[in-house]
Amino acid sequence: MRIDEARPYVVDKLKYALNPSSIAVVGASRYPTKVGNKVVSELLKWGYQGKIYPINPRADKVLGLKAYPTLRDIHEEIDLVFIAVPAHLVTAVVQDAVAVQAKVVTIATSAFKEIGREELQNNITQYLRDHQIPLIGPNLVGMGTPYAHFNCGFIPYLPVEGPVAMISQSGANLLAALGTSQMNHFGMSFFVGLGNKADVDFSEFIEYAQNDPHTKCLSIYIEGLDSPQAFIKSCQKVTKPIVVIKVGGSKIGNKAAFAHTASENPESDDYYDQVIKEAGAIRAQTWQEFLDISLALGYMPPLKGDHVVMVTNGGGAGLLSCDHFERCGMPLHELKEISPLLESRIRAYMPMFGSPLNPVDISGTASVIQYKGAFKQVLRDPNVDGLLGAICPTAVTDVNGVAEAAIEVYESCKDLHKPFIMICQGGQECHEAIMKLRDHGIPAYPTAEQAVNAMVALRKQAIK
Amino acid sequence: MSKKYLIGTEEQQAYMKDYNWNLKGYSYFEPGVVSTDHKFYSAFNVAKSFYQVYPEVFNLKYINEKTGLSTDEIKARIKKMYEKHEIMLVKNSCVGVLGFGLYYWIVKLKDNISSEDRQRIVDWMQNNDQICTGYVMDENSDFDFFNGNHMRTLDNLICGVLDKFRFDPCVDYVHICPVRRLVRESHVNQFDSLKDYRKYFWSEEQKKNILTFQNEMDAYDFAIIDAINNVETVADMFDYDVLAQLSGLNAQEMKEDFVYLVEQTKTVIPMVYFNYRAVGLKMHFFLVTMFDNTPTWRREQICDELAEMSEFENIFEFGDAHHHLILSAYEEITDIQRIKEKLLSYAEIGEIMEATSSRQLRRWTCRLDAENDLWEECIFTDDLLQDRARDKVLCSNCKEEK
Repeated sequence: MRIDEARPYVVDKLKYALNPSSIAVVGASRYPTKVGNKVVSELLKWGYQGKIYPINPRADKVLGLKAYPTLRDIHEEIDLVFIAVPAHLVTAVVQDAVAVQAKVVTIATSAFKEIGREELQNNITQYLRDHQIPLIGPNLVGMGTPYAHFNCGFIPYLPVEGPVAMISQSGANLLAALGTSQMNHFGMSFFVGLGNKADVDFSEFIEYAQNDPHTKCLSIYIEGLDSPQAFIKSCQKVTKPIVVIKVGGSKIGNKAAFAHTASENPESDDYYDQVIKEAGAIRAQTWQEFLDISLALGYMPPLKGDHVVMVTNGGGAGLLSCDHFERCGMPLHELKEISPLLESRIRAYMPMFGSPLNPVDISGTASVIQYKGAFKQVLRDPNVDGLLGAICPTAVTDVNGVAEAAIEVYESCKDLHKPFIMICQGGQECHEAIMKLRDHGIPAYPTAEQAVNAMVALRKQAIK
Repeated sequence: MSKKYLIGTEEQQAYMKDYNWNLKGYSYFEPGVVSTDHKFYSAFNVAKSFYQVYPEVFNLKYINEKTGLSTDEIKARIKKMYEKHEIMLVKNSCVGVLGFGLYYWIVKLKDNISSEDRQRIVDWMQNNDQICTGYVMDENSDFDFFNGNHMRTLDNLICGVLDKFRFDPCVDYVHICPVRRLVRESHVNQFDSLKDYRKYFWSEEQKKNILTFQNEMDAYDFAIIDAINNVETVADMFDYDVLAQLSGLNAQEMKEDFVYLVEQTKTVIPMVYFNYRAVGLKMHFFLVTMFDNTPTWRREQICDELAEMSEFENIFEFGDAHHHLILSAYEEITDIQRIKEKLLSYAEIGEIMEATSSRQLRRWTCRLDAENDLWEECIFTDDLLQDRARDKVLCSNCKEEK
């Protein structure tokens, strides 16, 4: 339901959704194949420390925890009510949630507005609004934060800790991001699936993220905006970078978005372009770009100028990068244009057949010492705004050693506030290097284009 | 008009009059078109989810008229009966028209197996989610299990369930008994009964004896169950205003949908199930095999004659099976000998196997094992897309996949 702007009571209460001290799971089944059981088991599995109250009138215990017939039987304070029962039961559960003065209600259940039950969804929403209890959902997958070991929903992964707040209207894509987080060390501060967003809207989670100390970048997946003005206002209040992917722009995608999360998109894609621009957010076109630039914006400061220097041991990665920088409207400058003295200094770290142009090709024989020296020279040069490093695993390349050198240089030059991004093209050793770099806060990617997109996004963030 | 194949005498053609049971599966919705969370089922689904806590989902006014008990007393009694696992609100679906076959199967274990082996197989049956219903028989019965499945194909039953245990050295045989007619279950006449559709049966003798046999439930408790199950129309079964209040759905629409579903389409029967185990009763089964030269119409005539007896809690008639009928009645409160004599009075009946069950494992996908804290946990056992023939089979001897 439409809002004009983020409601302060909602923003304030969202802390109970993402860091609750107690959760009641309504529909907590005894069977491991059922959603309600998964919610409880994932809370336990990932080490949630708060109180868990399974609600199941048929059971005495669920996963070893005492089960309660209804919310009213708990007689303790309940921060979050997570509802995973069929739609026709939700009204009564919500009435109980109001009666026990729960702080936040989350409805995972589907079969509301998206299948034509708009009146039922609206009645529930209005009832909760009347009692100032935020409702997240319905039709969502869940939410959580690795910082509280809190994985609430039917979600098999808790992401690794990191800077990105993932606010997604799609559960499936959220799950994809969470899986990526586990597998590719894409660090997150918190995540939430909004589903039909009957009550709590993007804008309120955006304002919550601004206050969240772990969040450095907001990544938002949108199928449709019910309250575009509220979205714009909240984004404009936020000082942290915001990345948006908006889907459902195609003719058939528009219909699919309604069937999925009841998103109505009468406006054109150009309209959303304008909304996102007015909000001051960066729009990604593809899912991969969305993740890549979110990671960079989460870890790195904005790129103050376009003096980016690339250091690589492989000419191919350099050429791919050059071309893509130009395609993105931010061509690389030659090193002598950026800093004539840097060109001469950096020669000390390459063989005579290396190239000090830009990309700086320190050659396939480059050692860890040469990489480290070149990285440091580049970052310390006051005319350089950002560094793009690349590792191509030749038979003599110590990939892990170079990654460790990059981390050491990055740590020592952090106070310069210059972006440092890495490309590691290759096999398993390169994947491991990417993980290591990401674990130390350096955005690292397996392809040149991904890294260039990330660097360009940092520039957009600086000039927005 | 369909073709008539008129071979044989008029007597042989008698089945055309009363006993022409059509193939199931094509007469109503195609498989998969209507699911059990369809709006037609809303009233039942709401009641099923709330009656444990809110007994007022039932039509207390109607029950009051039938029993004379106050509404508070009725609510308290329903709650008590639920909490003691004496009752459960359930439904039987006419699975045939929803696209499933209804297959029951008899299992005989070998004589003289150890009690550990027997228990192992009982536990396997209890915990196997692909088995939707079943009874375990007491030792020294003529057979040991009467289980059932609604399965999309016979292959799924064989590969998904039976092959996983029937080669166990403790198993003597398994006889598949596809249901031709589901006549009565849990005291309630079912979709294929000749008359008295949805009527709830207890004999006068049973009604009297049950009150002296046990102290858990009294005549009023049974009267409440009787009132709910014997409503003339399911419009009287629930308080639809209470259902609306709980669910936010429209009371009138729920009522009309449910009446249509149960009384017009006749694809589902709601009822309150009485759990005989909770009061210490045992179920006595008669597994009846008729001579092979008994024509189908005559088998069904016999089945219908027996269905006139209100003593039977269950009556299933099978087709394409070694056995033709299974009937059951409570051992302690029924004149079992009289029933047996009645069965023996039919010249067509060649063999009667008997068994006594103290424990029902599941009832139509719903677990009854309170001892495992799984009372009323409902598990759907098959779907329309599965091909269980591709499942790997775990050999019960070597524990390896075959």
